[in-house]
Amino acid sequence: MRRPFLGVAVFTVVVVLAIAAVGEMITRVSGEGGRRPAVAVSAGTITPEAGETVFWGKGKCSTCHAVGTRGGAVRGPNQGEGGPLGLPIGARAGERARERARATGKPYTATDYLVEALADPGAYVVQGYKNEMPNPFQPPIRLGSDEVRAVIAYLQSLGGTVDLAAIKLPAGLEAKSRAAAEWKPYVAGDSEKGEKLFFDVDSSAGCGKCHRVGTRGGSVGPELTTVAGTRDPVFIVESILEPSKVIASGYETVLIITKSDQYVTGIVKREDATTVEVADSQGRIQQVARADIKQRTPQTVSMMPGNFKEILTVEEFHDLLAFVLGLR
Amino acid sequence: MTPRARERPRGRTRRTAASLVAFACVLAAAVALAAGPPAAAAGGAAAAEYRSFYGTSARLVVWIVAELHLMFGAFVLGVPIFASIVEVIGWRGGDPRYDRLAHEFTGLLAAAFSTTAAFGGLLVFALIGLYPRFMTFLTSVFHETYYVYALLFFAEGFTLYLYYYGWDRMRGRLKGLHVALGILLNVWGTVLMLIANAWVAYMMAPTGIDRKTLEFVGTTWQAVANPLWIPLAIHRVLGNVAFGGFIVGAYAAVRFLGARTEAARAHYDWMGYVGNFVGLGALIPLPFAGYYLGREIYSTSAVMGNNMMGGAFSWTFILQAVLIGILFIGGNYYLWIGMGRIEGAERYRPWVKYINLVLLLSFAVWLTPRNVPLTGEEQTALGGQFHPLLKYLGLMSAKNAAVNFIILSTFFSFLLYRRGNKGRPRPFAAHGRVGLLVLTAGAAVAISILLWYARALLTLDPKTLDLTAAQAGYFKPPAYLLLGQAVMVLVTATLALRDRGTLAQALFFASTTLASVFVLGVYGFVVMERANPFLRNVAVAQWLMVMVCLLWNTVLDVLVFRGAETAGGIRWGRMPARSQYTLILLCVTIVMLMGLMGFIRSGLREDWHVYGVLQDTSPWAWTPTTAYMTRVVGAIVLGFLGLVAFVFWLAGLGEKKDHGGAPA
Repeated sequence: MRRPFLGVAVFTVVVVLAIAAVGEMITRVSGEGGRRPAVAVSAGTITPEAGETVFWGKGKCSTCHAVGTRGGAVRGPNQGEGGPLGLPIGARAGERARERARATGKPYTATDYLVEALADPGAYVVQGYKNEMPNPFQPPIRLGSDEVRAVIAYLQSLGGTVDLAAIKLPAGLEAKSRAAAEWKPYVAGDSEKGEKLFFDVDSSAGCGKCHRVGTRGGSVGPELTTVAGTRDPVFIVESILEPSKVIASGYETVLIITKSDQYVTGIVKREDATTVEVADSQGRIQQVARADIKQRTPQTVSMMPGNFKEILTVEEFHDLLAFVLGLR
Repeated sequence: MTPRARERPRGRTRRTAASLVAFACVLAAAVALAAGPPAAAAGGAAAAEYRSFYGTSARLVVWIVAELHLMFGAFVLGVPIFASIVEVIGWRGGDPRYDRLAHEFTGLLAAAFSTTAAFGGLLVFALIGLYPRFMTFLTSVFHETYYVYALLFFAEGFTLYLYYYGWDRMRGRLKGLHVALGILLNVWGTVLMLIANAWVAYMMAPTGIDRKTLEFVGTTWQAVANPLWIPLAIHRVLGNVAFGGFIVGAYAAVRFLGARTEAARAHYDWMGYVGNFVGLGALIPLPFAGYYLGREIYSTSAVMGNNMMGGAFSWTFILQAVLIGILFIGGNYYLWIGMGRIEGAERYRPWVKYINLVLLLSFAVWLTPRNVPLTGEEQTALGGQFHPLLKYLGLMSAKNAAVNFIILSTFFSFLLYRRGNKGRPRPFAAHGRVGLLVLTAGAAVAISILLWYARALLTLDPKTLDLTAAQAGYFKPPAYLLLGQAVMVLVTATLALRDRGTLAQALFFASTTLASVFVLGVYGFVVMERANPFLRNVAVAQWLMVMVCLLWNTVLDVLVFRGAETAGGIRWGRMPARSQYTLILLCVTIVMLMGLMGFIRSGLREDWHVYGVLQDTSPWAWTPTTAYMTRVVGAIVLGFLGLVAFVFWLAGLGEKKDHGGAPA
């Protein structure tokens, strides 16, 4: 029984490895997992190019719409040239607007039609297609109003004329969107310089001492490899400038006072029945015997230095931010 | 049947009872911890939303534990279904081998049950510890179901004891009662699965949510009966049966390879055949259950649906197609090798190469992606983003046609295998009234299904699909084809009555292939272009035609070959080692497939715990690459199979090496 069992075990491992190899091959061929370009659409950066990035990325528009020969989706109308509707969206929006004006008795421009198509996708569905487009303002897509404007600019550019001034989102949406407006950097940062600042432990930032990105950096603070994919820019800015405002779960600071009146402050990295391991702001680990602890108090102040407002120049801050916002 | 030793079962009972109590405690703890008010928050300190697992990824830990729990869950649900089916076959057919097989596998359940419970407990602890915010939310919606779940666990455990330990006592007149116990065991198991399914389905399709506050304002039943609950359950039940069948096949293969006597080899060869039969049988409707689930996912959220088939997860479906290809081709290959042990089957050998060709071509279609990322030079060389011909094969219509062809081919393989040692068919009149009754009932069911859907298509309101009245014209061709198939049932029934049963089978196969694969396969492209929303109805028409073909051809086959002359016997045990490795390949593949599908189902939510309601803001809320996923799932599969081997070894400790009563 032993010999066949060994053969079966080897065979099983080989089959699993072969399937895993197919997975590796798929990732190589498809290019999935490659770093996506950071998208930070703001009032100053509403351009067709920014809209194109949203269309093919965060907005997920491309999962239903192709643009000419780009993309293969057929659920929604092709927004480029050569699809079943012939003209690209920028060119046919005018005719659609005239149809809308006739149907509703209200004046419609081509841009008004595009705005309606995004803000209320079910209002006037293209014949032959199902009324199934999700509202991009709502979960799970949740685009900001500037991102939607950029997408409309991109659609205008497909066979039409880009006219940012003509894009008027419904008042309610605008107000709602403003309430959750994203922080807008007023200086364009250089992410390469930001990366240097991040990892250079002798620089004024030196974030890499405590934070890991990919395989680089320390492990005292939270890993930031994909932080911009899960946290919005407002939160990231706040975390840099006011680190104590919200402390990431699992990274709360504690103050331990031992029976010999020694004060140990840091993040608890590990603890068992006998000892507690605490990491200080430099990543040094200190072990404290449980039996020696007189008092253990959670702190409301983060271990992360709270003086970046003072020690970073405006330019350095935006360089650093540009790098962090690209971590997706 | 040799009576089992008394000491071992008692130990097993204690072990399983202990696991039941432990599981109940874990659930109670979970409810108490997660349902309670967030005391820390109330006290002023912020309650933890996430915790890492000793500095490493909480998501990875939950992924591994949940997947292992799910796989063992599938095992303890799949094996009783398998055992019940086999026991009923043995009972009604009077063949004791089936009864012994069912008993042997039920014996494995006790240890597997404990392992499932242990992983369940670990999963609950991991979720409470690592994802407290999410568990608080889920508990606030589902806490009432937790108690029912725990009670059902007891019911299932106790029914299992009665079923397993009462096997010898409930023979003869009480056999029916024993079979009923087996069915009851499956009822408990299925209800347990339905409850757990409600939780995970709800995470994808939440109901009873106030869209302004994103708070749950519905009832527990509303949450349970969410739109994905039943589609997921159907997919999982079928998946579990296929899983159980292929696990049994692999177990038999390992025992076959290590067997020292002819009798043992014959026994395990037969066991492997039954396992493969059950596995393949459940595999046949699985693509359609998957299509139904996918359709409902799409209806729940177009974003999630598109992400699945046309977005971040579309590549994982290429891998899925590879694995399903291995299952179908492997299952067929095993049948073809098996024909070598059937005297007379050599007559059908020439067909194998054609079936193989059909399978390979169909899989090539299934595998073809619509588009792949290309460089500028590659696009220039290709003349555009898409290949001029292959682009059509990447569309759903081509894939629906391909999967129907695969299923028809596999069924054809099985029919050839079944008739391997049959001689001249039995005249229809020899079946008497029973034959006529079976033929009439089979035809009535087949025609009813076809007419029902033809009528549904002809009376379909185009508005429900957002189509115009003019586009309703596209509903007619599939409806007429369904009516045509109904006529074909009548024609072939008449042929069967005139002792031309094999011709009837061939005709029905041909008309089904023509209608569902070729005509509707091509017509699907027209529909995609002119009336896209109707494509899903075309797919249903194709599927119904294929299912009716399987049903009607089985009825005809039974009537044609039941009691027919035999051209020779079956030499059980005369199988080369490669056939057994095929069974092991099928088992490893389906376990990998289960891991992959689990990843897809869970990953579709992307960075949402509860889709569109509770966002995952942890550092681990990113979608892994296919490479990363296969590494993790591969490791889980090896861990699971290692544990299953250990469970089998445990269950076999002290068992007599007796394989008496080998198959004839």
